[in-house]
Amino acid sequence: MDKQALSALREVFGERLDTSREQCICYSYDATGKMFLPDAVAFPTSADEVRRTILLANERLFPVIPRGAGSGFSGGSVPVQGGLVLSMERMDRILSIDEENLVAVVEPGVVTETLKEEARKRGLFYPPDPASLKFCTIGGNIAECSGGMCAVKYGVTRDYVLGLEAVLGTGELVRTGVVTVKGVVGYDLTRMLVGSEGTLGIVTKAVLKLIPHPETIATILAFFRSNHDGSNAVVGIIGERITPCALELMDRTAIDCVRENAGLPVPAEAGCALLIEVDGPKESVSAEAERVDQACRRYGAIEVGRAADAEGRERLWTLRRSISPALRQVNPVKINEDIVVPRSRLPEMLAFLADLAYRQNIKIVNFGHAGDGNVHVNVMISGTDEDERRRADEAVAEVFRKTVALGGTISGEHGIGIAKAPFLEMEVGPLGVSVMKRLKTCFDPNGILNPGKIFVEEGMARR
Amino acid sequence: MKREDLAALTAACAKCGTCRTVCTLYPERKAEIAVARGKVVLVEAAASGLDGDAEALQEALSDCLLCGRCERACPNQVSVEEIVMKGRGALAEELGIPAWKQVVFGKVMPSAGGKTAARAAAAASQKLFLRKVPTESGLHYRFPSAFGLSGRTVPALPGESFLGSLPRGEAVRGEVILFVGCVFDHVFPRVGRAAYETLRLSGKGISVFRDAPCCGLPALVAGDRPSALRCVEENVRRLSDASPERIVFPCGSCLVMFRRNMLSLLPKEHPLYGDAVRVADRCEDYASFLLETGVLSRLPDLPKSERPGRIGYHDPCHLSGTLGKGGEGREVLRRAVGDSFGEMKGADLCCGYGGTFNIRDYPTSAKIGQNKVSVAAEGGTAVIATACSGCIFQMRDMAARTDPSLRVVHIAELVSQAFSTR
Ligand SMILES: Cc1cc2nc3c(=O)[nH]c(=O)nc-3n(C[C@H](O)[C@H](O)[C@H](O)COP(=O)(O)OP(=O)(O)OC[C@H]3O[C@@H](n4cnc5c(N)ncnc54)[C@H](O)[C@@H]3O)c2cc1C
Ligand code: SF4
Ligand code: SF4
Repeated sequence: MDKQALSALREVFGERLDTSREQCICYSYDATGKMFLPDAVAFPTSADEVRRTILLANERLFPVIPRGAGSGFSGGSVPVQGGLVLSMERMDRILSIDEENLVAVVEPGVVTETLKEEARKRGLFYPPDPASLKFCTIGGNIAECSGGMCAVKYGVTRDYVLGLEAVLGTGELVRTGVVTVKGVVGYDLTRMLVGSEGTLGIVTKAVLKLIPHPETIATILAFFRSNHDGSNAVVGIIGERITPCALELMDRTAIDCVRENAGLPVPAEAGCALLIEVDGPKESVSAEAERVDQACRRYGAIEVGRAADAEGRERLWTLRRSISPALRQVNPVKINEDIVVPRSRLPEMLAFLADLAYRQNIKIVNFGHAGDGNVHVNVMISGTDEDERRRADEAVAEVFRKTVALGGTISGEHGIGIAKAPFLEMEVGPLGVSVMKRLKTCFDPNGILNPGKIFVEEGMARR
Repeated sequence: MKREDLAALTAACAKCGTCRTVCTLYPERKAEIAVARGKVVLVEAAASGLDGDAEALQEALSDCLLCGRCERACPNQVSVEEIVMKGRGALAEELGIPAWKQVVFGKVMPSAGGKTAARAAAAASQKLFLRKVPTESGLHYRFPSAFGLSGRTVPALPGESFLGSLPRGEAVRGEVILFVGCVFDHVFPRVGRAAYETLRLSGKGISVFRDAPCCGLPALVAGDRPSALRCVEENVRRLSDASPERIVFPCGSCLVMFRRNMLSLLPKEHPLYGDAVRVADRCEDYASFLLETGVLSRLPDLPKSERPGRIGYHDPCHLSGTLGKGGEGREVLRRAVGDSFGEMKGADLCCGYGGTFNIRDYPTSAKIGQNKVSVAAEGGTAVIATACSGCIFQMRDMAARTDPSLRVVHIAELVSQAFSTR
């Protein structure tokens, strides 16, 4: 970025523009751990500041990278070509919660959990619940179309975005969508922006749908001998016409990580575990919990536990929650993928993964939101062994090929960013990529917004 | 900054961002540089030779309360406090200790003689510069704005310290040593006295250190590792010689210095390392000692309180969080004041003191602290009891600013009161 650009930005942001090495280092990474230094960081507090920034960027041609909490798993907010990071964390007001129309209007820097809690206080429910909900932002969730545990029943972020206010790559401020439950006027620009990873526009305000909060919830933890039994039970439960609000699967590799300190006894022969929750009105919840319990046993569960109160629920969840942190004990470096296959192909996918780990002689830990066929495939490597690294990269490519072959998708919720850009075409094909690039040009003709993401070679020359 | 040891510590961070949720400072700063992840990455970058301006880095690392909330929330057990303290130390070696810290720590901390001198100087300056604040207790004084610390309420230094008030020959020998700590000796000698009197009810011989050195924590967090090391060496040497059964701490911060920080400060090959491990093993908090020795079971059952729940317990970050001793302090209160004790709103919110942080950025420290005490007061707490000198220092100042009717005491004062009134 040149001097003129910086001094013009200084006029917009004053003290809220920072070019110090220290601040830049703090905005150079996300949860992937990849690191690229920006030239400057700014903290906008209004849509107008964002708009003026993008106009300037078009004039002086520098990249602008929107950033929420930097909790992304695909490098989305990492400034791979330098430029200006726009940290949205100070636009963090909940502007309104309309209890009559069940609509919330928020700024993008609002932390997901804050919104969920405010809704909860009013008996309302904002369902999206990525595991990072305590720190990730609504803006980041929208840009990645994040999902979570309850996606199996309630869907993902996309399903709760009614409308947006955003600054496009041209510097124009658009309002998309509606503040009503329905709306079919013209192309669906809202959905276009959801999941666009900050490459089409910068969200400055979001209109979100809320629903009534479910009355109660029941939690069931079932252990199985094998992935085969466990994943068949998943298919079986769904086949029962029950829609759980969480259906998490942990395979043997994951259970092994936490066997000792899971906070509860794990049967020695357990090779797979399912954590299942059902919610709704009191009467129907206990009946459904019973049916889930029965179904698990029918598919060969060796032990089924159930929790009715919050405390018991916490205890059952510790098993699932302790896995992520414990992964480091397997190996220090994690390559984290989040593929999705049609639910019915889950048994096949898990069998493939076990075989792959064996063939490539590599450690792979699998768990995830099995209810929607989403598996977090964690390839764990030492990080110091060249050949192991190569085998890991090969394994990841194989996983993606298999996923696509099974009719699945290579990213359920973490997005493409830089991490999965090389595989985009594998899934959507050359025509898909080409249409996407043409759309990108409409929204952002000068390639200002978050260059180097999603598409491999895309980007702009740095000045 | 060079340092392979730092690189080894920072490597554990997965950059997940979980620490953003709990950071005491983040809501005030709203910038990644304030949270643990930012600081860990800065130190990591510096250790690998990517540092920019050492002074700016020193500023960034100074901007932390060392409350340890990030460390306890971290799924990867990253030793954030250690990284920040070691980083500060490495930079202090390179740049010297920042001027604002020298004012306070200069050379005064390690030697008791120096400390007395500093105390005398501070008392003199209080006479000159401070004017009384009209509060009930009459214990509060305030710096005038000319001092550059406008609005701060500091306690008047009493004429005599706790240890100074003990007659010659008293408390020189005993199987239990009371490590009273600078603040409870010099600034709030009533706490030192209350702790001493109540420990004696255990029937054990209680002794104290005459000319006690500082625990070393203030110097350590300021980045002055050589001074901190000298404090530790002197303490370990003297405590090993005395070879007590137990060493009891009314202050949670002194205790964490002995139980944890001391051992990371002393290199393993240091001749005193083995002694230090043995000393650390015998250190415990005031509340645990009272419970173990059954002192409180001598109190008769209390009648129902007229105002149940008016006394709350504040969780000192290090005592409750790092050392996991939150339950013991509460149990002592329950026995001493019955159902006048009730769980306080925001009990585990940091008081905002942060040692040197309070001096470096008083307005922010005060904002965090005022929020802390107002949340408690709004929840119906009238007396905040706790067991850490920094927290008491800070919360008395904050109470004076927000709600002078709010009392802040050490649990020992309430225990002592319970025994004297029944
Ligand atoms: C421990 C952990 C658990 C996780 N669990 C889940 C999970 O269960 N499900 C899931 O889906 N994800 C999960 N994630 C991934 C991550 O939290 C989500 O992708 C989240 O939505 C990112 O939000 P953020 O605020 O951190 O955004 P960032 O990481 O800062 O940015 C993500 C993307 O959003 C863009 N962006 C940010 N703000 C805006 C804006 N205002 N306008 C336009 N673009 C913007 C950025 O440019 C970037 O491309 C997890 C991450 C971690 C570390
Ligand atoms: S919580 Fe721990 S691992 Fe995660 S970013 Fe913070 S320090 Fe690093
Ligand atoms: S020690 Fe406290 S203030 Fe410092 S980074 Fe951690 S949580 Fe924030």
